[in-house]
Amino acid sequence: MDGTKHRILMVSDFFFPNFGGVESHIYYLSQCLLKLGHKVVVMTHAYGNRSGVRYVTNGLKVYYVPWRPFLMQNTLPTLFLTLPIVRTIIIREKISVVHGHQAFSTLCHEALMHARTMGYKVVFTDHSLYGFADAGSIHMNKVLQFTLADIDQAICVSHTSKENTVLRSGISPEKVFMVPNAVDTAMFTPSPKRLSCDEIVIVVISRLVYRKGADLLVEVIPDVCRLFPKVRFIIGGDGPKRVRLEEMREKFSLQDRVEMLGAVPHAQVRSVLISGHIFLNSSLTEAFCIAILEAASCGLLTVSTRVGGVPEVLPDDMIVLAEPAPEDMVRAVKKAIDMLPGIDPQVMHLRMKKLYSWDDVAKRTEIVYDRAMQSSTTNLLDRLPRYLTCGSWAGKLFCIVMIINYLLWRLLEFLQPAEGIEEVPDIRPLHSQLDSRDDSCEAQEKQI
Amino acid sequence: MKSSDGNRIRLQPMWRKVAYGGRQPGYDDNHTDESFLEEMVMNANVVKRDLLKVMIDSVSISQYLCIVALVVSTWTLTLNLDINETTLLKLDVGLLLVGFSVLLLTTCPFSLKLLAKYVLNISFFISGLYVLAPIYHTLTRSISSDSIWALAVSLLLVHLFLHDYSGSTIRPPGALNNPKLTSNISLNASIVASVLVASRLPSRLHVFAIMLFSLQVFLFAPLITFCVKKYHFRLHLLFSFALMVVTLSVTYQLHRMFFILLLALLVFISIVCPYWLIRIQEYKFEINGPWDEAKLCFDITE
Repeated sequence: MDGTKHRILMVSDFFFPNFGGVESHIYYLSQCLLKLGHKVVVMTHAYGNRSGVRYVTNGLKVYYVPWRPFLMQNTLPTLFLTLPIVRTIIIREKISVVHGHQAFSTLCHEALMHARTMGYKVVFTDHSLYGFADAGSIHMNKVLQFTLADIDQAICVSHTSKENTVLRSGISPEKVFMVPNAVDTAMFTPSPKRLSCDEIVIVVISRLVYRKGADLLVEVIPDVCRLFPKVRFIIGGDGPKRVRLEEMREKFSLQDRVEMLGAVPHAQVRSVLISGHIFLNSSLTEAFCIAILEAASCGLLTVSTRVGGVPEVLPDDMIVLAEPAPEDMVRAVKKAIDMLPGIDPQVMHLRMKKLYSWDDVAKRTEIVYDRAMQSSTTNLLDRLPRYLTCGSWAGKLFCIVMIINYLLWRLLEFLQPAEGIEEVPDIRPLHSQLDSRDDSCEAQEKQI
Repeated sequence: MKSSDGNRIRLQPMWRKVAYGGRQPGYDDNHTDESFLEEMVMNANVVKRDLLKVMIDSVSISQYLCIVALVVSTWTLTLNLDINETTLLKLDVGLLLVGFSVLLLTTCPFSLKLLAKYVLNISFFISGLYVLAPIYHTLTRSISSDSIWALAVSLLLVHLFLHDYSGSTIRPPGALNNPKLTSNISLNASIVASVLVASRLPSRLHVFAIMLFSLQVFLFAPLITFCVKKYHFRLHLLFSFALMVVTLSVTYQLHRMFFILLLALLVFISIVCPYWLIRIQEYKFEINGPWDEAKLCFDITE
């Protein structure tokens, strides 16, 4: 580490008040980077009437750019229209590194393209896995290839995700770093009183959709209830598959043994988790799965499908893996119930504290930024050949897009010179003024 | 020697494919292990195809193409008044009887109940058609013939393009899955085309006869061929080749250009396309690995 402080712009369509893995990743990473003395600014699109500049905890500045989402919280892809605002934010905040998150965020792709055009260093984090077969994936992979063709460094959240990203975009694996997600262990603590083992409670918290394996739950729950009379289920989450689960509950008369909570706000996830012994994750695809970490941090034993990056997430004695088939899931639940007497939630929580922390994630990300800053600066003519190699037709198309973007940028430089844009004075975060030696930035409450 | 080896291992622990526990000592986060992409599987589900089998499978398409060509020939002959309405009605009855007997012979549990059901349905259908014939007769009087021909041809093309060549839009007895949307659209296109053509005929009886003929063929020919194919594959091939010969001879007498076009199309479908498919198989590149979305091994019934 050379100790230089970076000025980072995090870009993604996904940020609070939306909730999910990407959102918390950006939030916690930004908080910990702020604590390390870097400047961090977040850029996302407007959520409802939340538009303009907001400050959240510790002076983290968030630009809610007034673009409306049009599909699944994504902004309409416009290629060039976001250039003026991205340029203004970068100049105003004197940014040195632009860090985009999530492969299906259009805002992220556009901002990275503009940042490259203006010659800034860019880093990209991929949070999800994609296949290669269907039309949607083929399109997404091409877009990813375009963005990653000229990236300085990329980050993936698991080794499986790294393999996937390298295959999809064709970039050199040396450029891709594996920096996992983490969990706020201060927020997810086990219940102080140990639950009795007279009745075993299995907790499921996930959106009830196909990709999260809700259909698998419909098959597994009746079998488990039949085999183990003292097992009870608590299902938190909502989604299109909720009806199927309720049908299953009616069909097998399990109303008293399967409790459906509906959507659980993130603040209440812990209170649901600590009422159970086992956490069941039935996802069909998962790059990392923060939910497992949250459950483990609350001291629950996890049973999960062996998909994507899940096998890398926890040591073997903290998780029971199963193939995504009902019989194997039931077998895994049985194994987990047998293991249960040997599990101490407090011990598990302490282990999780050692295994994962956002501070560690921030330090590892810092190294990626340092590497990105070391990469040589190139001009447009050097960069164009990188796009040309992306495919016989796509390559030429990408080049045209980059050239137009470059011309637009020059036009903007002429119409609104950088000297005319006022730079924002830096407001130092509170804790660096106090020079607090507190090690954990995770306990800080979110105030948004 | 042994101790120094042990030392080295202690200094440089093995890299593990895990995400927990922070940065692995001695390895950067961008470390790419030898095991990188080890679990990638290429072309796991690719089926090796055999030219002869593909050619035989393509016979179903050629067969249906011939059926449509025969219908078009009948239309043309009727429009030119080369066939009168009584011959046409005789043809209708003959087709109906042949169709019924094929259906009864090929459907395994021969039941009188099923036969009665079919007969009842068909009689409703025929009487309905007879009542509606005057309406069809004058339906498109205000539209020019050119538009009608253009529309009929494009509808037939849509029909051929969307037709379900592997199954039957009318559910054969005992079939489980419902027909797809595209095959329904295809069927509707063919019926509209028949109505358009019928509306250009001189008398009501003509309209009735040609409508009955077209609907019989478009609705029930796929069902009959499907049943034959299921019953005996050799019989299906034999029947198809006979049909092709008949169609080619009919079109040869009807119109030379139409004949050449049909012949070229048949050659293209049953020889060129299978060869082409086999050739492009070698470019098949399929990647599977741990990142794929898991497939559920049971049926999801909504």
